[in-house]
Amino acid sequence: MERGYPDYMLESIELVKNTRERRLKEIPELMSLEEREAILRQYHPDYKEGTKRTVKVGVNAGEVMPNEVADLIEAYPLIDPTQIDLSMIDFDCDLLIIGAGGAGLTAALWALYSGIDVNNIMIVTKLRMGDSNSKMSQGGIQAADCEDDSPSLHYLDVLGGGHFTNDPELVKWLVREAPMIIQWHEELGVMYDKDEEGCMFVAAGGGTCRKRMHSAKDYTGMEIVRVLMDEARNLEIPVLEFNSAVELLMDDAGKVAGAVLWDMEKEDYTVARAKATLMATGGFGRLHVQGFATTNHYGATADGLVMANRVGARIIDMDSVQYHPTGSSYPEQIVGLLCTEKLRGRGSQPVNKYGEEFVYPLEPRDVESAALIRECNKGNGLITPTGMPGVWLDTPLIDILNGEGTIEKEFSAMYLKYKRFDIDMTHDPILVYPTLHFQNGGIVINERTSVVNVPGLFASGETTGGVHGKNRLMGNSILDYCVYGRRMGIYATEYVKNATVGKLNLDHVTKYTKLLENAGISKERRAPILLPEYRGERTISHALPLLG
Amino acid sequence: MQEEAEKEKMVKVYIMGREFEVPATLNIVKAFEYAGYRFIRGIGCRGGYCGACATVYRFKDDYRLNFALACQKAVEDGMYLTILPFVPAEKAKYDMNKLKPRGTVLLELYPEIARCVACNTCTKACPQELEVMDYVQAAIRGDIEEVANLSFDCIQCGLCAMRCPAEIVPYNVGQIARRLFAKYIAPKAHPTHARVDEINACVFDEELDNYIILAKEDIERLKKIYVEREIKVG
Amino acid sequence: MKIPYFPGCSLKTIGEGFEKSAIASAAVLDIELEELPRWVCCGTVSSLTTDDLMHHLAPVRNLIRVEDINETQLVTLCSVCYSTLKRSNALVKNDPEKLKTMNQFMYRERDYQGNVKVLHFLELLREIGFYKLKEKVKRPLKGLTLSPYYGCLLVRPKEFGIDDPENPTILQDLVKSLGADVIDNPYQLKCCGSYHTVDKPNLVADLGYKILTYARNSGADALVLSCPLCAFNLDNRQREIKRQFPDFVEIPILYFTQLMALAFGLDEEKLGLEINYVDPMPLLKEKSLIKPMSLIKE
Repeated sequence: MERGYPDYMLESIELVKNTRERRLKEIPELMSLEEREAILRQYHPDYKEGTKRTVKVGVNAGEVMPNEVADLIEAYPLIDPTQIDLSMIDFDCDLLIIGAGGAGLTAALWALYSGIDVNNIMIVTKLRMGDSNSKMSQGGIQAADCEDDSPSLHYLDVLGGGHFTNDPELVKWLVREAPMIIQWHEELGVMYDKDEEGCMFVAAGGGTCRKRMHSAKDYTGMEIVRVLMDEARNLEIPVLEFNSAVELLMDDAGKVAGAVLWDMEKEDYTVARAKATLMATGGFGRLHVQGFATTNHYGATADGLVMANRVGARIIDMDSVQYHPTGSSYPEQIVGLLCTEKLRGRGSQPVNKYGEEFVYPLEPRDVESAALIRECNKGNGLITPTGMPGVWLDTPLIDILNGEGTIEKEFSAMYLKYKRFDIDMTHDPILVYPTLHFQNGGIVINERTSVVNVPGLFASGETTGGVHGKNRLMGNSILDYCVYGRRMGIYATEYVKNATVGKLNLDHVTKYTKLLENAGISKERRAPILLPEYRGERTISHALPLLG
Repeated sequence: MQEEAEKEKMVKVYIMGREFEVPATLNIVKAFEYAGYRFIRGIGCRGGYCGACATVYRFKDDYRLNFALACQKAVEDGMYLTILPFVPAEKAKYDMNKLKPRGTVLLELYPEIARCVACNTCTKACPQELEVMDYVQAAIRGDIEEVANLSFDCIQCGLCAMRCPAEIVPYNVGQIARRLFAKYIAPKAHPTHARVDEINACVFDEELDNYIILAKEDIERLKKIYVEREIKVG
Repeated sequence: MKIPYFPGCSLKTIGEGFEKSAIASAAVLDIELEELPRWVCCGTVSSLTTDDLMHHLAPVRNLIRVEDINETQLVTLCSVCYSTLKRSNALVKNDPEKLKTMNQFMYRERDYQGNVKVLHFLELLREIGFYKLKEKVKRPLKGLTLSPYYGCLLVRPKEFGIDDPENPTILQDLVKSLGADVIDNPYQLKCCGSYHTVDKPNLVADLGYKILTYARNSGADALVLSCPLCAFNLDNRQREIKRQFPDFVEIPILYFTQLMALAFGLDEEKLGLEINYVDPMPLLKEKSLIKPMSLIKE
């Protein structure tokens, strides 16, 4: 049987096998709050020297952000306002939704349900409808709908996981509306895992005190987004694909009034005027903070933060970056890709190269990641032939604990991912290492998804901050885009009933450019970056756009 | 990180007919980029979930056509490949609330499925290793649940639709079958409905609002409640 | 005996009653009809072009499925499935080159060895002997007069028919063994209109009118047949017949297996009569064929 691993890894796997029986009964203890703080300070990438800095410019001056994000905030616009003809309006709508992932699609649907005419909505996305981090979520969505659970317990979990830095109001609505989202999904036709009585399968996640992760195998995000897309197509919601929003527009009353769009394929711009602009641009994984690989999709470049910042939106908690503890570390072709936390929820354990456990499998993500990094730093991890560190995630335990065939049935995505490289995760463990995963912080909103102090701008989903504080728990990101995507659709619709749009301008862009010049920022830095650059060095250094 | 002692192993791939030498540790997506291409189309999540990078390839002196997701496939020497930028396929429009989950609903929405000749070409094209023919056949005989289960892992990459000689778009059929199954055939989640009713009756509001007050005014007390909460995840 | 059977798509939808009553009545004869695993739609129309192998893939794949479970016989109920499977089987048995081509195309399956025999359920019953059916009759269908209807594909083309194409008697023999009477209907071999029902329902209504009116006028209480497509055209399309011919009187359509189940004294729910368009219950009640066993006087 092909085992997909080089010999030295197979030797280590033997050690893992030997300790399996013992590890079934002996699991390390949960850390205390103090122990959590200590390990984070020592090993979590957030605390590494020289990786963050204070932003110098604009409304977020004084905020500490990772260098890669600060580079975008302290960057020049892509467009020159003098080149943009704002007198020609190409699209005129009530709601302009930037982003077609979970939050954008949910907002569009609920805007329709709230009475807006479908012709007055436009979704714009720089790739295709549905291309998003939302589609890649695997393990589940939290909702306190079981008998011995309650939204209050869920509330505590969210706050504790976030180190008590969350916005208490935002957390309330997150947990309070969770069961209703599950019910709505059932009406839409989302295929959650259920038993014959209709009870949803629920699993535990890091930092949760009850099992409340609802799942659709390990395709939960994909199943939800597929249905949202299907419904959006049924309702013929206008979606403009392969168009990036590169700058927000404002009007003479200081309200956000739409966006300048740039066609990724045709390379021309259009002007989209809107009474309300809804930011649902997702995360920032493709910035590769501290050089980490990422679980995120191709377009996760924090465009929303850049644009919102320029119109005066506050951005918080960017100093806290979520690394998912278990990203694939081997083989090289899939480095960084997500291995759902539910693998641990169903019984697998992180194990070092000697077959020893070293951490409680379900600490909150930041703590768990720090523990894996610590273990590798101590030399107890393996190094792959391409130089990636990693420890084992002992996945065969899942079938041992839950019955043969559990992995193939409940984790068919993971099973296939490894099968393609001749690794059978029901027999052999998989190699994992923390990977850049989620933007904990972001644009400040109130519970009605209004961007605070920026009229006409709304935001929801990963691009916002406050919901998860400085650390998100598993299953709450899907919940975030569902609950707040829905609220965004509803409240933006309410807003536009009495909203007007004045004369359009890009003065804020001109002003921001001046600020940057005064701060001595290099003209080479431009943002939003729209897509990451992965081409070979030779091509980049010799790039020459000659087509006139 | 270790330095590579030996020279990195390289392979020859032919991207849209052009020859490039790329490291063997790359997947097809990264091989394109290594060769100097920047994706606009043909790429999405880079993680095997969105179907944007549906890839068709052959090897030298081998007539067989092979299929993969570029982001999940290691490059191999002699691969002669392209990524599909787009698959033209319309889907039927329907109101879920007006559909009835009876046997013939799938045939009514997509009558072309009756043209299936059971050639299995769709199954051979599927990069998710689904039994596509089997679920199209189940759709023909109205077994909605079977279609839903067999098609579940479908990422709608479009390869099956491009290959089907009967011009069926299987993934559209799978999508409506899954929604019909989940909405009408699967048992209802009554505990969820009961909880929603409770929440709408404001049963939990007092406790939640209390926590908000504590979070703002007495964080230590909230921390204590958090630490002492019972963990029942067995 | 256990024997693999091929349901075909219609038996899972419009012909549910056919399947239900067939499985139940077969059980009375100690025949266990086992649904062929992973069967595919037979393709329904046999391709007449000799080099059109694509349309023979589906039937041959089903025959491979029979060999997959180490069996050598396949029983069908639907006449169309019977004809399609039998003809493809003959094609590849007589032409090893074509079989080789098809086996190579279906490289993910095991090669079809050509060892499967396709049977219609009526053939199986005839092999066993209709007298055996008579032995199992608990409720003779006395007083019930039936018009057997063969349609096309049970007896045509000649090489593949289960009985004489001009003068078949197999349905008559079966019906009589159950205790019912038969009438002669010269329209028993007339095509029901087949797929014209999709876009030319008037044509089908025309044909049905002739077939059914003759049966009714000759004293038949109901028609008995073996094909879900014929059943749809002759039963469900009576709605169209009434519209076109206001003098038309409805007549129930029954599958032969429903008659068997009735005669064997099986419960109502095993007959699958709920799906019939023209409700046969009033007729059966009138003939005292549907009363509980204990109340039937000998």
